[in-house]
Amino acid sequence: MATDQRLASRWTPYLFIAPVSLYLLLFQGLPLAQELFLSFTSTSLLSPSQHVFVGIDNYRDLFSTSDFYNTLWITGLYTVACVVLAIGIGLAAALMLDAPFTGRAVARALVTIPWAAPPVAVALIFTWIFNAQYGVFNYAQRLLGIQAFENWLDSPSHALPAVLFTTIWQIFPFASVVILSALQGVSTELREAAIIDGAGRIAVFRAVVWPTIRPSVLLLALFVTIWSLRRFDLIWLLTQGGPIGATNTLVVELYRRAFVYRDLGLAAAVGMVGLAIALIVTFFYFRLNQRADAAAKGR
Amino acid sequence: MSQTVSGPVLYVAARSATGSDWGNAARLIGVFTLLAIAAFPFYWMFVTSLTPSAQLFSARPNFIPNFGEIGTYSESFTKIPVKTWLLNSLIVASGTTFLSLAIALFPAYALSRFEFKGRGLLGVVMFATQMLPEAMLVVPLYAIFGQLYLLNTLTGLILANTAFTVPVVVWILKGAIDAVPLEIEEAAHIDGCSQFNIVRFVVLPLIAPTLAAAAVIAFFHGWNEYVFAQTLVSSESLRTASVGLAGFVGELSTPIHTVMSIAVIYAVPAVVFYLMVQRYVVAGMTAGGVKG
Repeated sequence: MATDQRLASRWTPYLFIAPVSLYLLLFQGLPLAQELFLSFTSTSLLSPSQHVFVGIDNYRDLFSTSDFYNTLWITGLYTVACVVLAIGIGLAAALMLDAPFTGRAVARALVTIPWAAPPVAVALIFTWIFNAQYGVFNYAQRLLGIQAFENWLDSPSHALPAVLFTTIWQIFPFASVVILSALQGVSTELREAAIIDGAGRIAVFRAVVWPTIRPSVLLLALFVTIWSLRRFDLIWLLTQGGPIGATNTLVVELYRRAFVYRDLGLAAAVGMVGLAIALIVTFFYFRLNQRADAAAKGR
Repeated sequence: MSQTVSGPVLYVAARSATGSDWGNAARLIGVFTLLAIAAFPFYWMFVTSLTPSAQLFSARPNFIPNFGEIGTYSESFTKIPVKTWLLNSLIVASGTTFLSLAIALFPAYALSRFEFKGRGLLGVVMFATQMLPEAMLVVPLYAIFGQLYLLNTLTGLILANTAFTVPVVVWILKGAIDAVPLEIEEAAHIDGCSQFNIVRFVVLPLIAPTLAAAAVIAFFHGWNEYVFAQTLVSSESLRTASVGLAGFVGELSTPIHTVMSIAVIYAVPAVVFYLMVQRYVVAGMTAGGVKG
């Protein structure tokens, strides 16, 4: 009986994780490996099983065009703006919704609604809101006396801000929910002690609130970064990466290479570059975290 | 003595009195602005769906829904296969939910309770899936599905979506199982319950709220998903609502109020459903997320 028990407990974990491991291997691991392979070949969407091995030519081609550097630049801009603005606004929202007031529960629920909206519906309504002639966005600008009449989604200078506005509208609720939950861990006693010591709002935030929520905010930043690097439907449906590449992030470029230009090899190479960026960001995040942990222990 | 105590206390009281008046006013304005921004696009979608075409293309937008135009909704159903789209989305979303929960429960338990070789690796793999864009995997998946006869089937969509929801669901469930006291399980162990049955009959009921949250998240993923549904399915009869609706982007022959009525029908159930279980979703998500 005793040996049975020990045998069972030695194999049980593997029994429990076997299905999910196989599943992920088949539907994530295998396609990823194939994509890596494709990136070293010349393969057309029209005959996807015929590969010509070309070594690193796809990568060389990518990095020899200025368009690709533009794509990298736009991806970086988009990602950084998403992280900074979504978390900034999410933090402000969370702080506002943290203190008690009448109707707080309702407000907390309503603020999270954008996050629940399907991206395709979001893209449709924002396309209409940003409409050049009849859009309510331009109408509001006219009301406020800003005369600039903009064709937001079709303008090389205004398309990225419009796409960012839409994205941040959709994702800031997630940031605020996570931060709000982290705020519940802030010690009331410490906060009150700081106030009695005469600390102002900003000083209390820096000394008491921020150290408590910092790990959650950093993890949030990592997730927002990774999700922004892979976000596709919203950008594709709003602008298809245009005009003239103004909103062309890596994933949009990948999709266009594969399904418009039908060049699976080059598309795969674009995907691998994006993946490499995500891995590098993640690596630095964990390094940063480790160092912060070590510093905290050393203190 | 009383002097030294009442000094700071009075000071704090005075500060918080004036501070809270201004603070409350500022907070009220802030919260109101936030809610207005969060809600306006939904309101606008609704108003647009209930505005006649002629009025949509005027210099001054119409801000009040005209309920006389409610006929747009029944028209959308008769002129456009919205019912089929919604039904397909429902099948994909439900299938994704069911499969995700079924696959995720036991690995979540294993990650929470057992120390074993490869535990860390599994965690890393789960996290790594968050980096893979659907738009990238869709090309090789197309080839794999072709060989498995899964192309142009809703089953294929369910399988593809589940690959992306399972890691998230495992993570959330693990967070909930971490919070279940070990003593409860030990009692069941002593009573001769097998490990498998402990998970099914002891742990599962205890994490029911989190299970609901995970179900909602998986359901949304299936309901909202666009890239796979656009690429792996070609029959019109298998089109999901996301793909059907996306077809209106840049298309000009369908009136805008009709498009918006469909967008409302597609988005509102998701939002209402989410609001109903919002508390659990938030708790479940943050349990997984905050603990890291």
